[in-house]
Parts: sequence; C-alpha cells; structure tokens
Amino acid sequence: MTNVGGNGGSRGGGGLGRLGRLATVIRAGLRSNFGLATLKHRLFKEKKDRWLVPLIGLAALGVLPTLYGIVLLIENAYLLLKPMGQERALLTLGLLAGQLLILLFGIYYIISAFYFSRDLEMLIPLPLRPSEVMISKFAVIMINEYLTVAAVVLPVVITFGIMARGGVGFWVNTALVYAALPIIPLAVVSVLVVAMMRFINVSRKKDILILVGSIVLITASLFLQVGLGRSRGPQANPEAIAAFFTSPDSLLNQVGSKFPPSIWATKAVAGGFSGEGLANLALLVGVSLAFFAGIVVMSEKLFYRGLVGLGETTGKKRRLTRDEMSRRVSSGRRAVAAIFAREWRIMNRTPIFLLNGVLVVVIVPVLFIVTARPGSSPWGAAIPKIIAAADPLPLILAAALIMTVCGSLNGTSSSTFSREGAQFWISRVIPVAPREQAAAKFLHSYLIAMLGVVTASVVAAIVLHLKAVHLAAAAGLALVAGVLLTAVGMIIDLARPLLDWTNPQKAIKQNLNVLLAMLADVGILTAAFFGVRALIRAKLAANAVLSVLFVGLAALAAASYRILLKFADKRYPEIET
Amino acid sequence: MPVIELTNVSKSYNRGKVKAVDGLTLTVKPGEIFGFLGPNGAGKTTTIKMLVGLLRPDAGRIVVEGFDVAKDPLKAKQVTTYVPDYPAVYERLTGLEYLNFIGDVYGVPKAERIERIGKWLEIFELAPVVTNPIQSYSHGMKQKIVLTAALLPGPRVMVLDEPLVGLDPRAAHQLKEMFREHCDQGKTLFFSTHIMEVAEKLCDRIGIIHKGRLVACGTMDELKALDRTEQSLEGIFLELTDK
Repeated sequence: MTNVGGNGGSRGGGGLGRLGRLATVIRAGLRSNFGLATLKHRLFKEKKDRWLVPLIGLAALGVLPTLYGIVLLIENAYLLLKPMGQERALLTLGLLAGQLLILLFGIYYIISAFYFSRDLEMLIPLPLRPSEVMISKFAVIMINEYLTVAAVVLPVVITFGIMARGGVGFWVNTALVYAALPIIPLAVVSVLVVAMMRFINVSRKKDILILVGSIVLITASLFLQVGLGRSRGPQANPEAIAAFFTSPDSLLNQVGSKFPPSIWATKAVAGGFSGEGLANLALLVGVSLAFFAGIVVMSEKLFYRGLVGLGETTGKKRRLTRDEMSRRVSSGRRAVAAIFAREWRIMNRTPIFLLNGVLVVVIVPVLFIVTARPGSSPWGAAIPKIIAAADPLPLILAAALIMTVCGSLNGTSSSTFSREGAQFWISRVIPVAPREQAAAKFLHSYLIAMLGVVTASVVAAIVLHLKAVHLAAAAGLALVAGVLLTAVGMIIDLARPLLDWTNPQKAIKQNLNVLLAMLADVGILTAAFFGVRALIRAKLAANAVLSVLFVGLAALAAASYRILLKFADKRYPEIET
Repeated sequence: MPVIELTNVSKSYNRGKVKAVDGLTLTVKPGEIFGFLGPNGAGKTTTIKMLVGLLRPDAGRIVVEGFDVAKDPLKAKQVTTYVPDYPAVYERLTGLEYLNFIGDVYGVPKAERIERIGKWLEIFELAPVVTNPIQSYSHGMKQKIVLTAALLPGPRVMVLDEPLVGLDPRAAHQLKEMFREHCDQGKTLFFSTHIMEVAEKLCDRIGIIHKGRLVACGTMDELKALDRTEQSLEGIFLELTDK
C-alpha cells in the first residue's frame, strides 16, 4: 500500500507533513471525481473524445443569446434601482440566490460524497484522519458548487461591476467572495448531515434517508424562498414606501436579512478596498473559516462513527413456496417490456436517480405553484388578470413551453445509458438488438416526460386558468416536443456514455451529457421561439401558427427517433466495456 | 465442426501501442471443456471479451456455433452466455427479478425457467434470499446469481472468466460438477482460470496464452509431451510463461 504524504503515514505527523498529506488526498479526490487523469488519457494518449472540445464550444455559443437576455435584464434592473440608491440589492439577490442554490445542491452532494461514495472503502483503511478524508470530500463539493452557481452569480456580479465601473478592489474582492461563498451554506448542511448520520441509526435506511433528507431540504428552501419573496417589498403605505426607498441599501438589508452573509458578501464586493469593503470581506472570510474549522473539529469526532455499518444492507431470509415461485417467475415478456421494467425499477429504487428524474418533474411544477400563487409574490396576483385579457396564442405557447420544460428538462433521457454504469456489459451481451434496447429506454424516458407534462398541465390549469381547449393545444405541442427532446438527450448520452462511475450521483448530476443535452434543449426551444416569432410577424392566424409549429415539431420528432435507433445499432458495438 | 473458432484474432489498446492479443488462432469442439490459462495481463480477459462481443477485434474472425460474432452478433449471443470476472449486476433488482429479466431477453419458456431457477438456487443456496435486493448479497452470492443467470437459458456455449474466484468450496465443487454435466450434453464451456489443479483435472483441452500469443494448446497429455519431462501443468505453465 502506498503511504499518502511525506511522514510515513503516521496519524499525528508534523504540521508540514500533515499539510502535504492533506494536499495529496485532496488532489486524489479531485482527480478521481472529475476524472482528470482519464480525460487526459483519452484526449492526449488515446486521442478519443476530441470532438467534445468544439462541441462544448458550440454549446456555449448556443447559450449566448439566453445569457445576453439575462445580462440585459440585470442592466435594466440596475438602471432602475440606481437612482434610488438601491442598486446593491441586485448583488445581494444574486449572491443570496447562489447561496440558496448551494444549500439545495449541497444536501445531495454532501450525503452522497460523505457517506455513499464507494472510494470511502479505500480511504478509511488508510492512515488518514477522519477530518482529512472529510476535507478532501468537501473540496470536491466546493469545486462542484463553484461550477453550479457560476450561472447564477457571475452574470449578476460581472454586469454590476461593469455598470458600476468597479475598480481593482471590486474585482479582487469578487474573486475572494466567490471563493468563500459556498463555505457557510455547505458547513451548515454538513453539520446537519454528519450529526444526523451519527445519531440516527441509518444503516438499513440509507435510501430513505437520502429521499427524506432531500425532500425536507427542498421544502425548507421553498419556505425560505417564499419568506424572502414576502420580504422583498416595503409595507404597502405611501410613507413606508417613501422611507424605504429614500434610505440607501434598505432593499439590500431587507433581502439579505434572512441570511446576513449575503449582506457581508454584497458590501465586500461593492465596497472594494474601502474600509467598508475590507471589513465586510474580513467578516465573511472570518466567519467562513470559523464554520470550516467547526466542521473539521466535528468530523474528527463524528464522521467515521456515522459510517460504521453503512455499506451493509440486509434482507430477511425467506424461501418461496412452489406456488409463490411459479407465480413470481415471469411467463415471458417481450424483450422491450423486460428492459423497460428494468429501467423503471432501477430508476425508482436509486434515490439520486428518482430525485432527479421522477420527482423533479413533480417538484418543479409545484415550485411554480408556490412561487406564483397570489400573495406569495407581486406577480403572482397579477397573473389571472393578465391572462383574462390576453391573446390566447402567446398563452398557449407559454403553457406549452412550461410543460416542455417541466417534462423534458431533467436528466432522465440524457443519462439513460450512463446510468447503467458498470452493468452495461449485460446490455452488450444479451441477444436483444441495440435499437430495441434504445426503444425501451426511450419509452421509459418519455413516460417521465409525459408525467411532467401532465403535472404541468394541472399547474397551468390552476395558476394560469387556461381554457380546456388551450390547455389541450399546449399539451399536444409539449408532448411532441417531448419526443424530440427525449431522443436528442438519448443521442447525446449514447455518443459518450459515462459508465465508470462509483457514485450514482455522477451518472446524473455530474454528467456532462446532462448539461450538453440541456444546452441542446435550450437551443431547440430558442430556435422554435424565433420560428414562431417569424410566423407571427408574417401575420399568420393563430391556428395556422400552432399547426405549423406542431407539424414542424412532429417531423423533427419522428426524424430524431429514427436517428436514435440507427445510432444505437451503430454505437452499441463500439462501446467497449 | 468447431463450436468456437478464433482465426488470427488481434486486439491492441492505446492506438496500437499495447498489443493485448496477437494473431490468436484456436478452436473448441462441441462437448469440450476448454481451459484458458495465462499470467496476469497475458490477454485472457481481452480474448474472452472479444468472444462474447464486448470488445471488437482489430483483426481476425470469431465464429460461435457457425455465427460470425461481428456480422451476426444477435445469433451468436442467443447461443452464448457469459460470466465476467467481477459480478457487476443490477444491485437494485432482487435476485428473482434479475433472473426473470435474463429469462425474458433470452426467451426461456416458463416451465424451463421454473425448473432451472429452482435447481440452481438450491444448489447455490440462494433460494432463501432470491427475493432480496442483490445489493444485500455478499460477493460470492453475487457471483452465484450471475452463474445462475448464465445457466438459465441452457446455452450451447458458456464463456466464463475466472468463475471459481469468490466461491466457497461447496459451490466451487458443485460448479465443477455442473461443468462436466453441461459438456456431457454436447454443450461447450470456455473458461479462464489461475487454478492449475482445476484446469488439469477438469479440462478436456487447455490453451496457454502469454503476451497475447497462444504458446501452447492441447490435451494434458499433449502439453506434457511438449517438453517430455512429464511435469505437472503448473511446471509446464511456469516454463512456457517464463520468457
């Protein structure tokens, strides 16, 4: 066995030796998690996957129009808030949204990385302190979080910096604040998770734990969101409004009052090298370090204790009677049905897959109801009035878009091959044509997309008060678009399935294919948007616009499904396991 | 007519830099137990994976029961089952669900399923846990469920990579009996092993692969005749692979 670090692996060791050992463990964790060595090997030694580089570049270009729209929105908000001295609230909103996102994703990442990643079996017997193992895991999660929140935080902070003509202090502090941003929320989640693992006997209930833990946190973050939504405005009397807007940063303080680190972060970024900026930076970094030190101390005492017995699962021993066996032995399903049943069972019995597939299509529409219901936010109350007076065409299109997003923008189709992981050899050796296997997987992914469309239809009926005929038109469009997006997601995953994961989270949440498919989906929906806009500008009647869109999507859907089946026949034999 | 036929089969990794299998030619006859031996990294697993269609050869041809594995893969797969060296199976399914899945995709009739599943679950002592998730099985139990799944379709050809690793002595003994029974019915078995004693006692013919090349192939008597020293298989193996 190789010793990690420079002091012969003794548990105590000198300060420098311990730091070296820690750096080695962190480096190993990062390399293994992000597959850097594998990626380097594939790109430079085997010279495979090189097509990915221009593809990612192209996908990034595809996002530019959406990003441009977001930047424009932020610019306008800045110009609106600036005369009232409230522009810094924008920063708070961006940073707070980032921290909430870290909190939300943190629960998946922490439970999964701290307790259910298989490399723990290798790390625990090594002469490492529990805190060193925990810190290496924490570092991996931090990097994941930086990538996750970049899309939310960076556009706000960078646009603000450019609009406000931020100096060196602004940009230096931005980098430091960004680096510190995940620590406090992740530490909070870590404390909750480590304590829970230590004090609750979860060895037989780990799947339920992930599910319950995630749902509890999602619910909590929903309430937090609603709470923040309610705190966004002043009381509705003229004096209060006047007082609110004449006091600089009142909006900032109001928004950030539920989570003070977002105020410190805002003041550190906006203040730059001024006294206020440096003091708030010191406060944020200091508190973050204190939280970090706290979880290091706690992990020494509690981390390994929660792990004992976690990898063990047991079941009751019971012999089936002859009759029971006869009943439970299948009388012979068709291969497509058998593969569909396998997909369905594995997806629903793996908590990370279930949360990201089936539950997300239910949770997203419900989230929409909670945030959009009258009273929870200023625009929630306005929706029914706007809709009653509006032209039905944009309403149908908007509802179709919501249904499509709810049904198809999850990782089910774009991780369908990756989810098989090390078991992919079974799909390769069974006597079932790849196109049949792809068809079964398509049915499974599409069923989940349909579930999303149905849930979103219920939401659209409740929130948007759409007429039945409009709802049916929107659902029709979403169902056809769902075929296209499902097939595209599967094609992307089939091109380069991620099969060498040791932690199921990597197959769906940290899978580049899921991201690429989402970018492709955004690209397709943007193209559809421009197509429809051109039709409307050409003065086509509403029914004609909807018919053209439906036929266009149906043609693309049929083509993409055929391509998927052909690609499966070509690609399966090439995937060497 | 041979059941398994490999002709000039080669496979390399890293764009040709590492040659795993180099011009391998061998045949296996019906009813034969063929043992495939070689040191670590000699090319055994690569050969086996090419045989079952998991890897594509760079050159050469593989035919199973008259079906070209590259050109007619589904027909070749229909008559072959495979047991890998590591039992990676669907952990979230129960043992019975996994066996049903295999029965469905190979099209095994219900009566045969019940008979074969019942028989092998009893032999491997898996009957009391067959409705539990595979996740809860030990390594050896996972190996046994993969073996049961491989036996379920009653295949003409079984290909096994290190099948005895991880099995307890009783299961290993029963598996060896099954090997003989399987081949007495005119079916064929191709397996790799590091256990010389098993290969010596059980196999009708043995092939020894070293650095991707077949360095010896034949019955035990034919191998002994190679150096005329009447050595044990272990001695022959060490001599042939010590280069």
